[in-house]
Amino acid sequence: MMEGMLTGLSAALSWQGILYVMMGCLVGTFIGMLPGLGPITAIALMIPVTYSIDPSYGMILMAGVYYGAIFGGSTSSILINAPGVAGTVATSFDGYPLARKGQAGKALALAAYASFSGGTLAAVFLMVAAPLLAKVSLSFWSADYFALMVMGLTAIAAFSNRGQFLKAVMMTLLGIMLATVGIDPSSGAERFTFGSSDLLDGISFLLVAMSIFALSEALSGVLRPDGKKAPAPSSKMGDLRLSREEIRDVAPVIGRSSILGFLIGILPGAGATIASFLAYATERNLARGEKKKQFGQGSLRGLAAPETANNAACTGSFVPLLTLGIPGSGTTAVMLGALIAYGLQPGPLLMHDNPDVFWAVIMSMYVGNVVLLFLNLPMIPYIAKTLALPKPLLTVLILFFSLIGVYLVSFNTFDLYLMVGFAVLSLILRQLNFPMAPLILGFILGGMLESNFRRAMMIADGSIAFLWERPLTLCITLVSLALLLVPLMDFLRGLKRPASEAELSDNL
Amino acid sequence: MFITKDRIGAFLFLVFSCAYGVYAWQIPLLPTEQGIAVSASTLPKIYAVVGVVVSLLALAGSFLQQAARPQGGSGALALGRTALLLVLMVLYTLMLDPLGFLLATEVFLLAGYLLMGEYRPKVLFWASVPVVVVFWLIMTRVLGIYLAPGTLWS
Repeated sequence: MMEGMLTGLSAALSWQGILYVMMGCLVGTFIGMLPGLGPITAIALMIPVTYSIDPSYGMILMAGVYYGAIFGGSTSSILINAPGVAGTVATSFDGYPLARKGQAGKALALAAYASFSGGTLAAVFLMVAAPLLAKVSLSFWSADYFALMVMGLTAIAAFSNRGQFLKAVMMTLLGIMLATVGIDPSSGAERFTFGSSDLLDGISFLLVAMSIFALSEALSGVLRPDGKKAPAPSSKMGDLRLSREEIRDVAPVIGRSSILGFLIGILPGAGATIASFLAYATERNLARGEKKKQFGQGSLRGLAAPETANNAACTGSFVPLLTLGIPGSGTTAVMLGALIAYGLQPGPLLMHDNPDVFWAVIMSMYVGNVVLLFLNLPMIPYIAKTLALPKPLLTVLILFFSLIGVYLVSFNTFDLYLMVGFAVLSLILRQLNFPMAPLILGFILGGMLESNFRRAMMIADGSIAFLWERPLTLCITLVSLALLLVPLMDFLRGLKRPASEAELSDNL
Repeated sequence: MFITKDRIGAFLFLVFSCAYGVYAWQIPLLPTEQGIAVSASTLPKIYAVVGVVVSLLALAGSFLQQAARPQGGSGALALGRTALLLVLMVLYTLMLDPLGFLLATEVFLLAGYLLMGEYRPKVLFWASVPVVVVFWLIMTRVLGIYLAPGTLWS
């Protein structure tokens, strides 16, 4: 393990490692700052770039983009009350009021310190937890993996917003269905190719990710009514420094939120959004008297809690990705796809087979957090100006980079037509309020789900008893069932309520 | 009875699942798969059935449950602009092979900016020509990726 750590450290601290993590953080911050574009888009846009470089550096770059995008999202939440990503919505509750009081500099600095602390503490937890979990997961069988994948898929639906449960299930299923297109890897039978040779290899993950995130998010921006333009950021930044008293006040908050964020990040499907809201709610409940009243009015605690938790959760979500090969969120699902495209097999063996990649990612997190703190903080006033970049130029450039990114990998124009088709589909789905992240998760896990299921069935001689024969598989199956049944019961209970007037106003 | 977004979504998914199911049942069973428990069509069939059940549940739910509040509608201008951008992407794909990367991308970016309402000549120039040339130089000279010059000229 020590040897692997040193290998990772040398990759992360090599000049290329530092360069890529700096580049990732900067690009991520820039993209994350633009309202409507989140870490998934940022990472999807960077994938074609990473194909031409070493997998370790590619992962370092993407991890940097991930952190940067979350941090960038906080910046737009604080400055213009327009969270770039769902994970930074809670940041705007107290960050924006602080900016309006003329303390934007202090709010941004605190966001940077909180992100740094949350990310760094969580990286320490990850360093301890990941190898332990990887060791345990080496004893996993195909049946356990199948059950784990079902759990990952049900969890994302279970953690979806209230009323969105069935929509998330539908999107997950759609993703799984799309993954079945092409030649079946086990038998060689053609499935859903409609006689087209372009579909024999299936639909590429990059194409789906680019179309449903980058392309459709850029086009959704055009579809949004013009009246919803983001306000210009305030030019008054104020002082960037925090007093000793303020630091003493937020330090315990950062400690608590780091642990909370990391633990929630590990859970598949939960991620940064839930972590940030929970941390905010926890701190508000813990606060007493005058401190409690400040929440929502520009409380430093209210800003530090979600900022710490969302970065810690981002780090936490790498645990299932690196050790089990199961992504916990849409963003890590995109990263998983990239790992597979590199020819690497994410899972417990990744640590043994490719310790350079495994440890380089973990070690680069420390570097990434330092870069975010020292590089981004002084540059915030300048980066904030990019919020004023004309939307027409940005939209067209995103369309161009998405299309050409896919074209440069396949050199097949059929893929571009397919992209336009997927963009139209996801635009319609977005208009119908369907969440997109479950689709990519289903798409990525679909293939693995099927191969593990078939392997498990073969071992069990065609009986599905493998789901309850081993205690471990049974446990995971029961958790999956619970994750599926609880929101389903909630949904069914909701059916008993009579339709209200809201429905009357919801006709088209 | 009103048509809500939830109902349209559930209905579309029901239609998709049915169509998927029809094709799933047509997946040929190869001779090597005779008698095995899980063939190439087993899981697609299961997915189709689950898809139909979930969409029916969502459809039933949308009639009985309180519907989600509608989101702001999009203006005709925005809708037209989005449609034109989609058409432009198709045209770009069509142009890419005959015109080559440089010219096709230049036309795509310029047309895109104009469509989005950007008419200032200086901005149009600086946001397109250098972007295309620098990108092309990075791809061909730095990363060594071959970009065909276009079938019309070769």
